[in-house]
Amino acid sequence: MSNKKERAEQEGRRDFLKGVVLGSAALGSGLVTPGLVIGESGKAMAAQDERVKMAFVQIQPHTVSSAWSVGLEEVLSTQQTIDYQQLDGQNKVEVQVSLMDTLINEGAKVIFLQPIDSVALGPSIKKARRRGIAVITLNIDASEEHAAHVEMNHYYGAMDIAKEMGKRMGGKGKVAILNAPPGIIIRDQRTNGFVDGMKKYYPDIQIAADQVADWSRKKAQDVLSNILTAQPDITGVYGVNDSMALGGVDVCKQKGILDKMVIFGNDGETAALESIERGELTGTQFTDVYQQGRFAAAAASVFVSGGVTAKEFKQQGKLLMPYVIATSETVGSIQPAQRW
Amino acid sequence: MVRLRQLPNIELLAFFLLLYAFFCFYAPHFNTASNLENLLVGYSFIAVLAIGQSFPIMVRGIDLSIGSIMALGGMVLFDLSVIYEVPGYVVIPAVLLVCLLAGLLNGALVVWLRLQPFVATLSTLAAYRGVVYAISGRQLFPEMATRPITDPWLTGMDSYLDIGGVTGLDQYMEMPWLPLSFFLLVGIFIIIQTMHSKTQFGMNFKIVGGNPEAARLAGINVKLTILSAYGLSGLSAGIAAIILVTRLTTATEALGNGMELTAIASAVIGGISLQGGIGNAFGPIIGAMLLGIILLGLTLLGISQFVQQIISGLILIGAIGYDKLLSDFRMRKARAMQSGS
Repeated sequence: MSNKKERAEQEGRRDFLKGVVLGSAALGSGLVTPGLVIGESGKAMAAQDERVKMAFVQIQPHTVSSAWSVGLEEVLSTQQTIDYQQLDGQNKVEVQVSLMDTLINEGAKVIFLQPIDSVALGPSIKKARRRGIAVITLNIDASEEHAAHVEMNHYYGAMDIAKEMGKRMGGKGKVAILNAPPGIIIRDQRTNGFVDGMKKYYPDIQIAADQVADWSRKKAQDVLSNILTAQPDITGVYGVNDSMALGGVDVCKQKGILDKMVIFGNDGETAALESIERGELTGTQFTDVYQQGRFAAAAASVFVSGGVTAKEFKQQGKLLMPYVIATSETVGSIQPAQRW
Repeated sequence: MVRLRQLPNIELLAFFLLLYAFFCFYAPHFNTASNLENLLVGYSFIAVLAIGQSFPIMVRGIDLSIGSIMALGGMVLFDLSVIYEVPGYVVIPAVLLVCLLAGLLNGALVVWLRLQPFVATLSTLAAYRGVVYAISGRQLFPEMATRPITDPWLTGMDSYLDIGGVTGLDQYMEMPWLPLSFFLLVGIFIIIQTMHSKTQFGMNFKIVGGNPEAARLAGINVKLTILSAYGLSGLSAGIAAIILVTRLTTATEALGNGMELTAIASAVIGGISLQGGIGNAFGPIIGAMLLGIILLGLTLLGISQFVQQIISGLILIGAIGYDKLLSDFRMRKARAMQSGS
């Protein structure tokens, strides 16, 4: 009888913890998608003194993933039982898959993943879920359901960029998009959000060019130079990330047309914010990615301390990060500690 | 002892086993059935690519385009299966045919246009990658981009054999589940090694690589041999594409990016001489698996992946240096024999 009572108490505690898992993170950001359903209570509970392995599998070294890792480590390092490791996917899908397999073999409790492809990592995520390992994706969602997804608000952020950009262009003119390579969901979200935003708020603005610049500042310089040679009447540039937008700034400075151009980026890295402060880049969508890492780590910590395994989530949780459209008017509100 | 020394790649095999033993002792979770399973599933397709790459190297060439051919094969598979819903038993031969033709085109550029293999395959590396983007079903039909491959003929390629359960050994120890790709690799090894040692066609690769002029004078069709070497390289890229894409359940435009370097490294570490004329099918397999245990072992030891890349590079330099030493030794021996006679 007492066993039954103890079990009921334990289940109650776990149910509470499961609610706290994403709830705590959601409270921090103020945003969470509805319909998060959490399943039956956990069976495996991490012992107090047991070492717990957590790892972050990034696509490749980048300022964004480095900042996530700083945020993750900040939270996880306060807990003496957690071993955290950052791993490099070398920009290759097969390396990411191999790293996932290795982590599953190692008995990692939580894997933070920035998938290089939304479908290709699906089988690995499924395998992890079968072993009870919680997978938390960062920024790029996967087609296979997993414990949670913590994302910069790509689509709506891009819509707001379009709104701000259209206003500064006076509601008319031509825009060039410097885009990411195809085959990744984030590209579609950031492009579709921007295109839909323009259609909604400023339908007279025409998307005159949409070319791939491989996330790269150097490539963006070459691509935009060619675009401007062919279409010199373009007055707006949208870089799907900041590096490409800054490449656009370089070209316009060189051609002496920067004062006539409206150039927006996306991400909010320090170099972009400084460019805005110098009056070069018009704006960007800023997300505090340290905080994004902290939220993901907070969710992971509660999964582990509460003994909640991946098998117990009936539906994937999704957390959209708050953002600021940083322009010359708003960039001052971004504190030095938030800059990455 | 003399017989042992005559075994091909004995030094490499010894180094591989020593390193394996080292990781078993020092890397946590390395000596587990699931880690062995990860090694076999993750590196069998690279070993297939390395075997394919060994043919152009054996005839004093190189194939830099195999990563792009692999991506091409993968995208053809995705398009036919997901977009056009062609049955898997038709898709597989179609992919192999496309990759074989891509390899033969490389060979034709080398043989008939007399382009340097490095230049010819560097050009097709870019061209085939361009074709991949052009035919990408994920771009042409964005609504299908996140749809995985479900054809049972294709998903069946990612099957495993519970060897412990079948043999009853799982009662005594934990056994890995062996992936189908490993059995494919074993089959390819047997075919290629038999071809090299028992057939004139197979021996021609070494003869042509050793001395093309002597091979021509001996009546060997040098052009056909070189053409076949690139064709076989393309074909193996097709097999690797099928293994990888059916495992991932999708193809990406960037699939196989940089894979040519891994395959070349595996082949060279496996004793395929860059001077041509030397090699077998066993060395590239050990070369690929060696790179695999380095990645897995060092990851399990918690060592940074930048360090892993440095170590892989050092091993490659060691293998090339050893190849050069052996080549100089053979040259000195041949000269000594000539002066002796």
